[in-house]
Amino acid sequence: MTRLMRDDESRAVITGMGVVTTMGDGVDQFASALAEGRSGLSNWKRVRDPRLACKVVGDLGDFELGEHLATRGAAYPQALVQLAKKLLRATPSSGQLTAVAALQAYVDAGIDARGIDPERFGHVSAAHNVCMPYIAENVRTYDEEPEFIEPLFGMLALDTDVVAVTSELLHLKGPSYLVGGACASGNMAVISALDQLRTGRADAALVTGAPISLEPVALHGWTMIEALTYRSFNDDPTRASRPFDARREGFAPAEGAGALVIETLASAKRRGATIRAEILGGAASSDACRLTKPHQEGQERAMRAALRDARVDVERVDYVNAHATSTPLGDAVEVEAIKSVFGTRAYQIPVNGTKSMLGHCLTAAGVIELIATVVQMERGWLHPTINQEEPDPALDLDFVANTARDARIDIAISNSFGFGGINSCVVVGRAP
Amino acid sequence: MATTRDEMFEVIKSNLHKIVEGSRDQEILPDRSMKDYGADSLEMIEVVSRSMKELRIRVPRTELSGATNLGELLDLFERAAQASTAA
Repeated sequence: MTRLMRDDESRAVITGMGVVTTMGDGVDQFASALAEGRSGLSNWKRVRDPRLACKVVGDLGDFELGEHLATRGAAYPQALVQLAKKLLRATPSSGQLTAVAALQAYVDAGIDARGIDPERFGHVSAAHNVCMPYIAENVRTYDEEPEFIEPLFGMLALDTDVVAVTSELLHLKGPSYLVGGACASGNMAVISALDQLRTGRADAALVTGAPISLEPVALHGWTMIEALTYRSFNDDPTRASRPFDARREGFAPAEGAGALVIETLASAKRRGATIRAEILGGAASSDACRLTKPHQEGQERAMRAALRDARVDVERVDYVNAHATSTPLGDAVEVEAIKSVFGTRAYQIPVNGTKSMLGHCLTAAGVIELIATVVQMERGWLHPTINQEEPDPALDLDFVANTARDARIDIAISNSFGFGGINSCVVVGRAP
Repeated sequence: MATTRDEMFEVIKSNLHKIVEGSRDQEILPDRSMKDYGADSLEMIEVVSRSMKELRIRVPRTELSGATNLGELLDLFERAAQASTAA
């Protein structure tokens, strides 16, 4: 198999995973919700602006760092808990959630006990525009009195603080930076970290998907361009995200953070680490179009290039975690792109949409959905695409409608596409 | 009613305790500096700014750097409070 041509130093494996989502704090809780088809969507908790047309959201506004550290923190090294309290006290929500997901992944990877050289351990974060509520609140304060803005605004308002605070917490001294690709950011961060490992610039990388903390002005902006669901399901939020269904009408915005520890196969073997899955490859493409509308050709190019990079033939892929945001055009274009890339194979493999339950975690989506993909691969089942009530005749693939089922997945792809024609695909395989 | 010097000190002490971990079990004295309690430069900015906001007073940044201990910081706070009351 050509796959074996890469040596252990240039193969990348996942050894740690962490999530904080409305479907669970921690991978086990998240996995249970996925298997049960339990939606994390609700009406707003934190934002109470009646003028907002979209009232459906995955809202993590009630996440309490202190409570998390006091309960789930029992599983973390206590020195890290103490440092987290100090570093995260004044950190805006996105940085807190990202750091907590990162802590989980770090502990899951067993790094505290069997270390990785910090100088060879980087951090790539999918994060941009993540602190909008913090910035908006300080703009309002500034209008009243400039001296009364948050004392550390000049540092904490920067998206780079998400990378910096977690790198300090976990003492990561390798290449650390942000990757931005709108809703494809998560996959782009995975691909960028993969490149760091393959080129020998690092032995390991923390890949984080930072949530965009939701702010009314951004949500209203997305409503104005008809991206969000707001017409039919405001009173029934768990039914609002319905990828592929005939009544889909827009995405449900959500907050959520995800984190992966990836390292070279050689590093994982040296440490005797438990390998969760292998990242076989990934690729990105641009539509050369700044608009929000999806382009089938660009999506196809991303999938084909990712499979080439992974040295995987379409016949060997047995599952697609679709981007599937529940927008009328987006889902239709993605289905056509999958059919074009996979040919008759498209009808033989399941294609599900994690966003049907989770909503759209924006910059973090790719990381969280890759974790969902690995969870299904490890546990031997496929999560459902929920809210499949009225099939769209044009969308005729196996969407794992409404009910989970057992399945063996050896190789999967996970798609993420972003506004501005940013397309990406990651290929992941069972642990070697 | 104007805030007294003691009340201002209470606000500063409370913020110091919240922000600077090393200060929590210690008695805060006016002849000490925040540095004596283990505050780093960003934590000092935070204590001063949060206290000013809570007390609704403004001390020019150029004057703040002149304070060498908490008592001198209180002097500046007091003067600012008097100035704002007079205005």
